[in-house]
Amino acid sequence: MIEVQNLVKKYGDFTALHGISFKAKEGEILGFLGPNGAGKTTTMRILTGFMPPTSGLAKVAGHDIFDESLAAREKIGYLPETVPLYPDMTVQGYLEFMAELRHVPNRKKRTKEVLELVGMDQRAKSLIRSISKGMRQRVGLAQSLIHNPPVLILDEPTIGLDPAQVADLRSFIRDLRTQHTVMFSTHILSEAEQICDRVVIINRGQIVAQGAPRDLRTKLNLGSRIYVEARGRADQKTLANTLAKVQGVKYAEPYQNGVVVNLKDNKDVRPALAAAVLENGLELLELRPVAITLEEIFLEVTSPLGESHDA
Amino acid sequence: MRNIWTVYKRELRQYFVSPIAYLVMFAVLLLIGLNFNTDLQDRANFEPADGTVVLSTFAFLMVFFAPLLTMRLFAEETREGTLELMLTMPIRDHELVIGKFLGAWAFYSIMLLVTLVYQGILLSLTNFDPNPALLQSELDLGPIIGGYIGIWLFSGATIAIGMFFSAMTENQIIAGFLSMAVLFILWVGDLAGLLPASIVSTRVAEALRVISLQSHYSTSFLEGVIRPEDVYFYAAVMFIMLFVTTRLIESRRWR
Repeated sequence: MIEVQNLVKKYGDFTALHGISFKAKEGEILGFLGPNGAGKTTTMRILTGFMPPTSGLAKVAGHDIFDESLAAREKIGYLPETVPLYPDMTVQGYLEFMAELRHVPNRKKRTKEVLELVGMDQRAKSLIRSISKGMRQRVGLAQSLIHNPPVLILDEPTIGLDPAQVADLRSFIRDLRTQHTVMFSTHILSEAEQICDRVVIINRGQIVAQGAPRDLRTKLNLGSRIYVEARGRADQKTLANTLAKVQGVKYAEPYQNGVVVNLKDNKDVRPALAAAVLENGLELLELRPVAITLEEIFLEVTSPLGESHDA
Repeated sequence: MRNIWTVYKRELRQYFVSPIAYLVMFAVLLLIGLNFNTDLQDRANFEPADGTVVLSTFAFLMVFFAPLLTMRLFAEETREGTLELMLTMPIRDHELVIGKFLGAWAFYSIMLLVTLVYQGILLSLTNFDPNPALLQSELDLGPIIGGYIGIWLFSGATIAIGMFFSAMTENQIIAGFLSMAVLFILWVGDLAGLLPASIVSTRVAEALRVISLQSHYSTSFLEGVIRPEDVYFYAAVMFIMLFVTTRLIESRRWR
């Protein structure tokens, strides 16, 4: 549904996108991750036909976004980062206007449907200037859904919402998957981890990683980690040094009351670690694996110097 | 066409929910009313009533009030972020520009139509004559009819200019101020000929007069003369401004 090939965008001397490529299949939720200024909004603006790329190809629902711009735009529902609302219009008036611009048949009915979908049917007659930020976000979302587009592009849809609203919106986006291809950007990783089928991580205009959140861990070869806590005469540093010598361990460092051991690969070294602790005359209190979050993957792949903890 | 209609409707409706539009309408109609009243008083029993006073006042006020109503057209959309959405809608840039222009022009046309009240007053005053031999109206209808056409075209041109400045900046005040300045210069341009030739040469004064917004109605439409060149002039100003505005909006995509 979304196909991007070698997309380059330059603003004067500044290159915002250095030839990125990715795809999103039908019915897929694609998370677009990256720190601020990475090029997320730029990519989305290109996909929605707001601005042309400097070079490269982008297709939405089979239509080239540049050569068949209007046809492509018809297939997209777009929620920009700043929710585009007319404060002087009512919620209903606004949505009907958008429906008319989108040539939606039976506008009144569809407006009502969408309002119910986002749970705003009670406030249909309210002026947009008088509703809360969370509601505005929902009206913005309703606007992007009004023509039931096959592709939805949402730029940081959860920003500025309270935790309950964020949870609501996430489950809402998850429910959209059956009928729409959703691409949304965020810099909250747990969010992407929860709802995305696939994530694309972008940094400084380049894609640094993409894949299912689960696969990213193995793909990036971050190995896994084990937390070890022991009691005895040796301090944390000594324990760390000891554990670092165990075969298969990349490095070990003190963490909280124990030591976190980073492994080179996914081999199970727990017995070896336990043995090492006991050999040193210590009592083993705890030994458990530590999950690597998307957060860490993110930091790893977006760190400015590409530094990693090689011992 | 359909998209232009959609944009036009929203734009026109928008004026009726905006307090500034009501304030402008109030101020314009009040000032015209005052001027109309004074003029009528001055002429009473001396000169025949003149319906074009209303129109020349309206035109003069347009120079200052048109920017107040056009400044928001694009500047507000840019600032609210709605322009980004509009530019990703399946509509062409020129449809957006034309729709907005027509919406603003329609609001002015409504304001202009309201001034017909004064013509009604004049008609009823001048037709009331006890002498059956003088039953014919004293009111010269030619300049009034021509005047309304001329001032209507003139207001279209001022709106097109104001909209152009609104598309240039996201700051409404700057947009309003720039268009006010430019409209004022274009409006008084034909007075350059009144300056001594040592300051402004005749050629320059002639040139200024040709591009002056005022000269194309004051000596023609308001005299009841409809000259094609004046119609072309206002039409050309509108066309050029709409074209440039469309280009300006397009250029945002490249920035």
